[in-house]
Amino acid sequence: MRPWHRRWLPNGEWALLLVLAAETVFFSAFAPNFFTVGNFFEITRFCAELGLLAVALTPVIVTGGIDLSVGAMMGLAAVSFGAASRTWHLALPLAAACALLVGLAGGALNALLIARLGLPALIVTLGTLSLFRGVAEGMTQAAVNYTGFPPGFLFLGQGYLGGLIPTQLPIFVAIAAAYVVLLHRSVVGRALYAIGFTAQGARYAALPVARRVGLVYVLSGVVASVAAIIYVAHLGQARSDAGTGYELDAITAVVLGGTSVFGGRGTIGGTLLGIFALAVLQTGLHLAAWPSELTGVLTGVLLLTTIAADRHIRRRTHVRAVVEEELEVKNSQVAILCATIIAGSLIVAGTNVWLLRAVGAGPRAADGHAPVAAAAHRLVIAVMPKAKGDPYFVSCRAGAEEAARELDVDLVWDGPTSLDAAKQNELVENWITRKVDAIAVAVENRGGISTVLRKARERGIRVVTWDADAEPDARDFFVNQATAEGIANALTDEASRLLGGSGEFAIITGALSAANQNEWIAFIRKRLADKHRGLKLATIRPSDDDRDKAFAETQTLLKVYPSVKLMMAISAPAVPGAAEAVRQAGRKDVSVIGLSLPNINKPYVHDGVVQTVVLWNTRDLGYLAVYASALVTQNKLAPGARALTAGRLGQIEVRDNQIILGAPMLFNKSNIDRFDF
Amino acid sequence: MRLAHTREASIACAIAALALVLAVAAPGYFSTENLSDLVLANLPVLLVAIGMTLVIITGEIDISVGSTFAICGVVAGVLAKAGVPVLIACAAACLLGAVFGSFNGALVAYVGIPSIVVTLATMTALRDGLRWATEGAWVQDLPRAFQWLGLTQRQFPLVATAITLGLTAALAWGLRHVAAGRAIYATGSNPAAARLAGLNTSAVKWMAFAVLGTLTGLAAVLNAVRFNQIPSNAGIGLEMKVIASVVVGGVSVAGGTGSVMGTVLGVVLLAAIGPALTYLGVSAYWERAVQGGIILVAIAADGLRHPLYRRVVARLKPSGYGPARRAGGVA
Repeated sequence: MRPWHRRWLPNGEWALLLVLAAETVFFSAFAPNFFTVGNFFEITRFCAELGLLAVALTPVIVTGGIDLSVGAMMGLAAVSFGAASRTWHLALPLAAACALLVGLAGGALNALLIARLGLPALIVTLGTLSLFRGVAEGMTQAAVNYTGFPPGFLFLGQGYLGGLIPTQLPIFVAIAAAYVVLLHRSVVGRALYAIGFTAQGARYAALPVARRVGLVYVLSGVVASVAAIIYVAHLGQARSDAGTGYELDAITAVVLGGTSVFGGRGTIGGTLLGIFALAVLQTGLHLAAWPSELTGVLTGVLLLTTIAADRHIRRRTHVRAVVEEELEVKNSQVAILCATIIAGSLIVAGTNVWLLRAVGAGPRAADGHAPVAAAAHRLVIAVMPKAKGDPYFVSCRAGAEEAARELDVDLVWDGPTSLDAAKQNELVENWITRKVDAIAVAVENRGGISTVLRKARERGIRVVTWDADAEPDARDFFVNQATAEGIANALTDEASRLLGGSGEFAIITGALSAANQNEWIAFIRKRLADKHRGLKLATIRPSDDDRDKAFAETQTLLKVYPSVKLMMAISAPAVPGAAEAVRQAGRKDVSVIGLSLPNINKPYVHDGVVQTVVLWNTRDLGYLAVYASALVTQNKLAPGARALTAGRLGQIEVRDNQIILGAPMLFNKSNIDRFDF
Repeated sequence: MRLAHTREASIACAIAALALVLAVAAPGYFSTENLSDLVLANLPVLLVAIGMTLVIITGEIDISVGSTFAICGVVAGVLAKAGVPVLIACAAACLLGAVFGSFNGALVAYVGIPSIVVTLATMTALRDGLRWATEGAWVQDLPRAFQWLGLTQRQFPLVATAITLGLTAALAWGLRHVAAGRAIYATGSNPAAARLAGLNTSAVKWMAFAVLGTLTGLAAVLNAVRFNQIPSNAGIGLEMKVIASVVVGGVSVAGGTGSVMGTVLGVVLLAAIGPALTYLGVSAYWERAVQGGIILVAIAADGLRHPLYRRVVARLKPSGYGPARRAGGVA
C-alpha cells in the first residue's frame, strides 16, 4: 500500500499546495477583499480559458509531446466563429460548430504531422503556430474585429449562475472532469502514460501509438476552440490576436502542476492546482496593487523552486528507496516540512498584519467591509495604461503621479505588461473586487472592456476612459487627447506638405492587428481620397512595436519602392527605427514623419532625418485623466458639464462628456527641445 | 549523420529555389546593398543560433535567449553611458550573458530540472524584471564611440561579419574535430552511454549553456551598436526565430544530431524569406501564414521523402515520435 501522499499527490503537488496556502494567507493579509467568496469565483473565471488549454495540454505532455499552437488555434477559432456568426449570419450553435470544426482540422493537421509522419512535436507546432495565427491575420487583414454578439451569448462569458458562479465555470469543470476520466480512468489514459514513459515499449505492448498520440492533439485543437468561444463571449469580440502567448502560460501551469516534460508523469489535478496557483498569484498582486511585472518574476521563481524542490525530494527518496525498503520516514518528513512552512508563513503574515494595524493610518487600513467614515476616506484612483512598459504610457504616468500628489489621492497605476485586451478586463475585475473609488482606463479594446466597465459603474465606481474610448454608456467621461481623425489628418497634411502635394509614401504600423493604428490608417486613406489625391500610399508594413524590426522593414522598403519619398511611422518605436534606416542608407531624399515621443526622436530631428513628430503632451494627458477622475468621484464634475478646471492646465473644454485636451502638437527642430517625455 | 546531410541538401535546394524565383521576379534582391543589409541584420541571429545548436545537440533547449539578449544590450548601453570604455562595456555584456547562460545550465545539469522549464521560468522572470527596472525607458545619449564600436559605417559590417564567421567556422570545425565537440554529440545521443564512457555529461551541458549565453551577449552587442539608442524591449520572439532556424537546419530536438553548417543554412533560409516576400509583393497580412507554411513544408519533406527508408526506421525505432531518451534521462 502506498502512503496517502504518494497516492493522492504523486508528482510533487504537495509543494504546490503549500505555495497555494502560503499565497492565500499572504494575500489575505495584504490585499483588500482578497479572502472573499466573490473573489474566489472571480478567480475561477480567469482560470477558464487558460485552464482549458492547460487541461488539454496535460495529456499531450504526458505522452512526451508538446503543443505550442494552442494559443494561435484560439485566434483562428475565434476569428472563424466571428466570421461565421457575423459575416455569414449563421445561428450561434452553427457558428460554434464551425469554430469547433476548425479546431478539429487544426488538431488533425498537428496529429497527422506528429503521429503519422513522426515529426518532432516541438517543430511541427512551432510551424502551425505561425500558420494558424497567419491564416487568422490573413482572413481578417488583422483589422476586422467581430463584435455585436447577442447578450445571451455574452452571458456565457460574463454572466453569473445564481448570481455567484461564473457561467463558464460549469463548462470548464465538465471538460476537466472528462479529461480526468480520459487520463486517469480509462484504458486510453493508461496507454498515454505508457507511450510517454517509452513509446517503443508501448509499441511492443501492442498499443496503437500513433492513433493514441494523434487523439490528444486533435482533442487539444478542439478544446482550444472551446476556449476561444468562451474567450469571445468573455471579451465580446473576436479578433485574430486572441490567445497570443497563452501557450506559454498554459505550459507553465501544466509543468507547475508536476507534469514531466519528458512524458509519462502528470495529473489533471496537478494542472488545476497549477493554474489556480498562477491565477491566485496574479489576482493577489492586482488586489494588493503591486506592479504587474512582479507576476512574471514571481511565476519564474515559483516554477523553479517548485520543480527544484520536487526534484530534490524525489532524488533523495529514490536513493533511499534503493537503500532501504519503503518510505516510512517520508510521511513524517513531509509533515514536519509542511508544518514548518505553514508556521513560517503564518508568522510572517501575522507580524505583517500586526505591523499594518500598528502603523494604522496606512491606505489599506481605511478599506474593507466595515463602514468607513466618509470624510477620512482617501480616494483611491486606479489608472490603467494599455501597456506598462511602453515609453508613451511611462510619460503619461509622470503626469498622473503629479496630479495624484497635488490632489492628495492614492494612485494605483497598473496595466498589462504588453498589449493584451484580456488582461485589461481581468485587472478591472480585480479593481472592482478591491473597491477602488475611480477607474481610469486607456482602452485597448472597445467592445471587450465596456461590459466590465458597466459592471464597475453598477457597483458605484466612477469610470473615466482616456487615450482611447469605450462605449459611451460604459464610462462617465472620456479624456480625449485627439481624435483618430485629427491625428490622421495632421499626419496626412504634413506628408502632403513635405512631398509638395504629390508622390508616394509608405506606412510603418505597429502590430498588424493594433486597433488604434488600423483606425488611423482608415482615416489616412479617407483623407487621401478627400483632399490629397496626388499622394499615393505604396504599402503598409508591420513593425510589431519593435525598433529593430521597423529598421529592417524600412531598409527593405527603401530598396523595393525607390519611388517612396516619405516614411510615415505610426508606432512610437518605429519612428527612430525608420529614421536610422533612412540615415544609414544615405537617402537624403526620403523624409520620415510619424507619431512618436519627442525624446527618442531628438537625435534624428536634429540631424534632419525626421522632419516632424506628431503627438500631444502625454504628461498632460496622464495629469488630466487623474484630475478628471478625482473631480467625478468628488461629484464636482457632473454629466453635461461644459468645462472643468484642472490644476495647472487651467480651464478645459468638455463636449458631449468628452474632455478635450487639445489638438495634437507637431514637434520639429524648432520646438522639440522644450519637451522632455 | 546521413539524415543531417540530406536535410542540409534539401534546405540548400529550398534556398536555391527561392533564389531562382527572386532572380526572375525581383532581381533587385541581389544588389550588394540589400545583401549586405540582410547579412548585417542577421549576424546576431546566426550567433545565437550556433550557440543554440550546441545546446540542442546536447538534447536540451533554451527559450530564454530573447530576454538575455534584451538585458545584455541594455547593460552594454548603460555601462557605455556611465563612461566605461565601449569595448569593456561590450565585454561586460558578453560576460553577463555567460552568467545567465551558466545559471540556466547549472539548474539543468546539476539540479536536474528540465531545460524547457528552467528557461521558460528565466525567460518570463528576466523579461518582466527588465520591464520593472527600466519601466520601458530606452537607453539614450550614448557616447559617439558606441555606434559602430567607434568604427565607420563601412568598416563595422566587415568586422562584425569577420567575427561571426570566424566563430561559426571555429565551432563548426571544433564540433567535429575536437574532443569537447564530440563530447557534445555523445551527451546528446545517449547520456547514459556517454557517462559510462567517462564523460562528465553534466559539465558538457553546463558548458553548452554558458557558450550560448556568451554568444547571446555578443549578439546583443553587435545588434545594439548598429544604433545610437537601445530600446528595452529588444529581442521579443528571438527564441522562436532562432529555434526555428536551427531545427529547419536539421538539428534534432531529441539531441545528438545536427551540424553548424545546417544551422547556417537554416538561418539563411529564414532570414531570406521575410524580405523576399516583400520583394515579391506578398501582402504583409499573409506573410506569417506563408512563412509558417514554408517551414512546415521544409520539415514535412523530411518525413515524407523516403517511404521505404521510413518503413525500415519504423521497424527499428517504432514511430520516430517522442523523446527516446527517457531511459537515459532518469538514471
